[in-house]
Amino acid sequence: MRPYDAIVIGGGHNGLVCAAYLARAGRRVLVLERRERVGGAAISDQLFPGFTFTVYSYVVSLLRPEIIRDLELPRHGLHVLPLESTLTPLANGDHLAQWSDHDQNRRALARHSPRDAEAYDEFGRTLHQMARAVKPLLGTVPPDPASLAPGDLASLARLARHFRGIGRGVFHALHKLLTMSAADYLDEWFESEALKGTKSASGIIGMLLGPCSPGTAYVLLHHYMGELDGVFRAWGFAKGGNGSVSAAIASAARARGAEIRTGAPVARVLVKNGRTTGVALESGEEIRAARVVSSADPRRTFLELVGEAHLPGELVEAVRRFRFRGASAKVNLALDALPEFTCLPGRGAHLRGAISISPSVEYLERAYDQAKYGEFSRRPYMDIVIPSMIDPSMAPPGKHVMSIFAQYAPYHLNGGWTDARREALGDAVIDTLAEYAPNLKSIILHRQVVTPADIERDVGLSEGSIFQGELSLQQLFSVRPAPGWSKYRTPVEGLYMCGSGTHPGGGVMGAPGRLAALTVLGERP
Amino acid sequence: MSRRDAERWPQFCARMARLARALELVYAGPPPDPLARSPGELVRMAGLAWRVRGLGRKAVEDLLRVLPMPAADLLDDWFESDALKGLLGLGGVMHLARGPRSGGSAFALLHGHTGSPPGVFRPPRSNVAAVLARLPGIDVRRGVRVARIAVRAGGVASIVLASGEEVVAECVVSGIGPRRTLLELVDPAWLDPELVRAVRNVRARGVVARVDLLLDRDPGFATLTLAPSLDALERAYDDAKYGRVSQRPALEAYVDGQAANAAGRHRIEVHVQYAPYALAEGDWDAARRAALVDGVVQALAAYLPGGAAAVLERTVRTPRDLESDLGWPEGQMHHAELALDQALWMRPVAALAHYRTPIRGLHLCGPALHPGGGVPGASGRTRPARRFAAAAAADCSRATAAPTIDAVRLHCAAARALSARAAAKTRLPP
Repeated sequence: MRPYDAIVIGGGHNGLVCAAYLARAGRRVLVLERRERVGGAAISDQLFPGFTFTVYSYVVSLLRPEIIRDLELPRHGLHVLPLESTLTPLANGDHLAQWSDHDQNRRALARHSPRDAEAYDEFGRTLHQMARAVKPLLGTVPPDPASLAPGDLASLARLARHFRGIGRGVFHALHKLLTMSAADYLDEWFESEALKGTKSASGIIGMLLGPCSPGTAYVLLHHYMGELDGVFRAWGFAKGGNGSVSAAIASAARARGAEIRTGAPVARVLVKNGRTTGVALESGEEIRAARVVSSADPRRTFLELVGEAHLPGELVEAVRRFRFRGASAKVNLALDALPEFTCLPGRGAHLRGAISISPSVEYLERAYDQAKYGEFSRRPYMDIVIPSMIDPSMAPPGKHVMSIFAQYAPYHLNGGWTDARREALGDAVIDTLAEYAPNLKSIILHRQVVTPADIERDVGLSEGSIFQGELSLQQLFSVRPAPGWSKYRTPVEGLYMCGSGTHPGGGVMGAPGRLAALTVLGERP
Repeated sequence: MSRRDAERWPQFCARMARLARALELVYAGPPPDPLARSPGELVRMAGLAWRVRGLGRKAVEDLLRVLPMPAADLLDDWFESDALKGLLGLGGVMHLARGPRSGGSAFALLHGHTGSPPGVFRPPRSNVAAVLARLPGIDVRRGVRVARIAVRAGGVASIVLASGEEVVAECVVSGIGPRRTLLELVDPAWLDPELVRAVRNVRARGVVARVDLLLDRDPGFATLTLAPSLDALERAYDDAKYGRVSQRPALEAYVDGQAANAAGRHRIEVHVQYAPYALAEGDWDAARRAALVDGVVQALAAYLPGGAAAVLERTVRTPRDLESDLGWPEGQMHHAELALDQALWMRPVAALAHYRTPIRGLHLCGPALHPGGGVPGASGRTRPARRFAAAAAADCSRATAAPTIDAVRLHCAAARALSARAAAKTRLPP
């Protein structure tokens, strides 16, 4: 039989996207997944009979449209249901609701601040312009600004031309957004605490940074680039949970001839004379291939699978200081009934959207204060969805599943994560949420708490970082994951990277997988 | 304190010095304008890029990586000693409303390193302002207050003093910051509302108080820093974040050796951070001022020979006093906070980055303009050196940027000599 052209390590969404693109180009590809099923952090599971959970991630929006198109994902079962609102319950019994319907949204905002309702459209337009200006970067292999190679210089020149062409106003606004804190940035626009709190929350997701720390405004934009069916800032929920995103990509890869082996943990990448020759599994089996693409994060790829001996000291140093710092936890609940929010009782449309516990910037900043000294937030920020409201197949009739993304739960917890601390975190989350939905505690049938330590152990993401490394300015684009190694290549010939630890980062986007595949194929994106 | 840190120190100093050199190249002229169309500016920028690249591949990589970093991350990458990291970390937050874990504080640390020799991470203290004021051809009138700038037909006509006196001039250079210049001295009707909004949004949050002590004896140090760890700094910042004076502020005490008088008395000037301009509760009343001074004396007493009893006189200047005495907006020494979003072509706002205002003949200078303030911790006697005022002057006379570069050179050379001397006398508290 013909040997494999490429082996992809890891069957997360990026690994699968990469494999699908390679197979599409006629390469013989093998995906090796450590666990018994593909999907990485994008999996759905029946943790409790009859209830389906998206265990780790929870929404889709950033999945690149060209990937959906190229791989014909809808044909393979991808079906995204839109989330149409965000509800922010407030401590005083009031609430702030944001709706995808423009007029409804305007009325809801005007109730808090007519000025903010005015500013909102302009804000949306500005962010939209900036997202459009940045978007081409998502499909670009980052050049090396320190290199004098003609390819890099040409790519830099293209970038310079692009940014010089976006207009002075947008350019300056973008500069500010990249370098400011979400709190300062929003202060320039809005006055309502609830609105600023909820908006700035997009800037801290997955980061061990508070909304007042510079750099968080960019993450806000990163989350603004969601593009479903060409509509900016539309978040969706995959029918069947995020596991069905992975299943669709896996199906697309298989349909094009890729082989996927689960339960096949890779122990190391075989290197001979500076070239990879394949991989060795933990079972001792060796599989040969001239090209190996790792979707594991940079730390796992370089320090565990390859080993320092085969790498230049500078890269090892850069990988060691690459920051992960997982900061978020997930609490998954099986519910006997719907939660009743005091601020908006009853079964309303708001339960089909996101519910955000982010009453003010100060609330988030205080949650961060505890985390930066190694404690989890006693009153965390939460982003909640009730998938069974949108997709009834997720739970038995009349029952519900609730997905709570909670922050901050730092990986580096004082004293380390234990079972008792995991449950204490779960209690803090439930106690805080019960302040807004008092019936919550009495309707919980099952509770699962996932800490960053659990994510690291189960999914293999270092320090439980959901983006495979912080999305801070010093770890983006040309320096992600390390200066000089942003182009999916590694110092080991034939070994490539395709995980979220490479440009443009995480968020079930799939772009790193695609760009890595194009690099392996020697095509320009 | 740490053998490992001692071994890494020379390499750290070399790497940071190279970055500071790169910044100095950018600081030696007006800010680059990445959107410029004029061939002259494009050539200048290409030259700049070439010279920065000339510092080596590592310098370019470090620039990209280090500037947006939190100082805490940078220092954690290199060192393990809390004392060393606290001391350096203070350099990253000096005068700024942020903690060492906030992004961009590494940039502030490097900013303070420019003009200093490798290993000196505090800005030089120099008398360059006094020297410049004595240059021939400059009239300095003290004790006058400018009430407004009169504008006629879109151009500066004169300035009107508080006394009513009118001084006619076609070119006015203001060093008091964009907000006061454009929103208070000029009739805003002359300005575009967008610009007014941008100027209002310039962040200038003061977080520093100054305490001056008179001692009856030689304190036995030149500079004393109380910033025991990055966590201590961060906790001090936490208080300020919510509008409170730090319970345990970071202190940096400077002794002015020349001010020792005949009776052997010494003046110490203490930089106290954080003491926010805007307090969440209450005001800067007498009780709060007294509490601040007492706290400072108490904290320093352990390191002063003779303890608190050696302190003969104590005075405090809160951010409000620094605003009224020195003209620092909200008590902010940099006039516009030194942050990446208010740096280079964005300093203080994009439309004013080139020292010009929309009013013909009205120019800006001072720390709010590129490249920013440079003498943190200076005493009340030394004004913040307008070391780059020359840039505005050059611009005003439509001359080239050459005088700026000379000013920087002069300043850097003087500063190197001074800070080398200061460094020799600096020591860590036990």
